Amino acid sequence: MTVPHNIDFDNLKPEEFEHILPDLFATGDGKVSQDPRLKRFLAANPDCAALVSDLETIAETARSLFEPVAEPSDRVWQNIQAMLQEDSVLASIDDDYIDPGAPLD
Amino acid sequence: MTQALPSRTNPGLYKRNPPIAGEAEAIEAAQNGDAEAFAKLYNLHKRRVYTLCLRMLGNVSEAEDMTQNAFLHLFRKLGSFRGESAFSTWLHRLTVNLVLMHLRKKGLSLVSLEETVNPSDDDTPRRDFGSRDQILAGSVDRVTLERAVAALPPGYRMVFVLHDVEGYEHNEIAVMLDCSTGNSKSQLHKARLRLRELLRNPSPPHPSVYPESEQ
Repeated sequence: MTVPHNIDFDNLKPEEFEHILPDLFATGDGKVSQDPRLKRFLAANPDCAALVSDLETIAETARSLFEPVAEPSDRVWQNIQAMLQEDSVLASIDDDYIDPGAPLD
Repeated sequence: MTQALPSRTNPGLYKRNPPIAGEAEAIEAAQNGDAEAFAKLYNLHKRRVYTLCLRMLGNVSEAEDMTQNAFLHLFRKLGSFRGESAFSTWLHRLTVNLVLMHLRKKGLSLVSLEETVNPSDDDTPRRDFGSRDQILAGSVDRVTLERAVAALPPGYRMVFVLHDVEGYEHNEIAVMLDCSTGNSKSQLHKARLRLRELLRNPSPPHPSVYPESEQ
């Protein structure tokens, strides 16, 4: 799903805009409000402009959530330490997960 | 099943995970069996791993269990870390993979992942533009957004956290969730629309996600 090439941005309707909005956000740097193709449309459709503004605010604020906010209880480390003492527990760890270091096909 | 390292396709993610002072030495020592070095790695990364689990699972107890599981896997797999990406990037990916595997095993799983990331019709955000007299800019901070994210349906929350918070690309999320790239984009958009609704009409915070000290 990408923004269709035949979109007439000068005569865009709100329904069409809504339809292509996920792709508009997914392309470029996600700054839909700065897209020159949409300047006239957004100026003429303040509800759409408000929607774009809100979604950009949400995406921008979300980046601040990257920093951790919570800490596990001491029980977690105590359990880890206890389990590391038992080789059988380590050996039983399920190996059937996606290796984060595996190369791309 | 093979995966891409996020750092290869998403330099931005690598930038968000800069090396931590003393981390490289701790990794090397832990790879050689130094228990104190492993404890140091735990202390350096426990909050971020736990926060990631909490956001993805929405439940303190499960998040603690998954944090424990992630570090046990780390202990076992540390020797395979080759330093091709930031250690925290690698550890996050390991954690995400474990959480997704846990959810599949739980039953979110036994239906196809495509369904897993599709909440019911009742959860679908309304397809209207809403009133523009309540612009969110300036009224949303990380605390209010965090609470709204906790109230999202699990499928929406998963894609939102992976893309907007953790910085994964849609093609990476599609591989992780075994869905199409288009589906990932669509789910993210619906998640943001739902968040907009939640932020404009806030409800009390989700009790299982926020410890009292966080509220």
